[in-house]
Amino acid sequence: MKKLPVFCPSCESNLLVSELSCSSCDTVISGKFDLPQILQLSAEDQEFVLQFVLNSGSLKKMAIQMNISYPTMRNKLDDIITSLQANSNS
Amino acid sequence: MKTVLFNPFKKYQENYLFILGLAATLLGSYLGYFFNVRYDGVLDVHFANNTTSWQPALDNLSNIAVLTILLLALGMYMNRKTRFIDILNITLISRIPFYLIPFFNVGGTMERINSEFLNTLLSEQIPDFSTLPLNSVLTLGIFALISLLFIIWSISLLFNGFKIATNAKSTVHIILFFSSIIIAEILSKLFLNTLTNS
Repeated sequence: MKKLPVFCPSCESNLLVSELSCSSCDTVISGKFDLPQILQLSAEDQEFVLQFVLNSGSLKKMAIQMNISYPTMRNKLDDIITSLQANSNS
Repeated sequence: MKTVLFNPFKKYQENYLFILGLAATLLGSYLGYFFNVRYDGVLDVHFANNTTSWQPALDNLSNIAVLTILLLALGMYMNRKTRFIDILNITLISRIPFYLIPFFNVGGTMERINSEFLNTLLSEQIPDFSTLPLNSVLTLGIFALISLLFIIWSISLLFNGFKIATNAKSTVHIILFFSSIIIAEILSKLFLNTLTNS
């Protein structure tokens, strides 16, 4: 899977979506759209959020499933929250 | 292997760590009694004469209580989500290296060497250590080195566990952690002295 770039490789600012295209009829929409906050997270963090939702928000279940301890799992969630808060403030 | 030895808190669930820590504490207390060893401080192990069955157990109980209370207070100050069970597990597991030290006193070896050194030290104004047997000097040297490694191992366990339990990252947090270890060492010594003398 190709990795979605979210930061400018030149100045490291957040990237915007400037073009969307239909895969069936080739319609192209141009404009400037912000990337959703979730997509601004790293691929690993996005996977964590996905697993968190699929496990009904149970960190304990996730910890057992991923074979790591509960506090390690909770710290990961806290770091993602901090990162989302930093993104929303920037 | 590195995770198991130095940071089991990253991987293992709290129930497993608690049972392991509790079993190690009970075994360590028994080994202290069996090999005449006192754990008379958070970072202390000393060889003694005729240790009673309750002394090493009381030492461990006091050390665990002092360290858990201090680290929990600091952890709660740093991060409100810090849990008691995680801090207790860190304290219990971090003491495992100290429970290996009694094996050095098989047959009262270390106690005898300690006495030889003390006698030499106290016998004259300028102690002459050259009169000590080479075997004793070598054994004491090796023991000192291994003990130092065990203390470093124990502090690594405490530090890694505390970082996970509190999600501590900043330098201030790390300084506060090491300060609390020093305070715990002083408090545990004072507490045990008071208990023993009362």
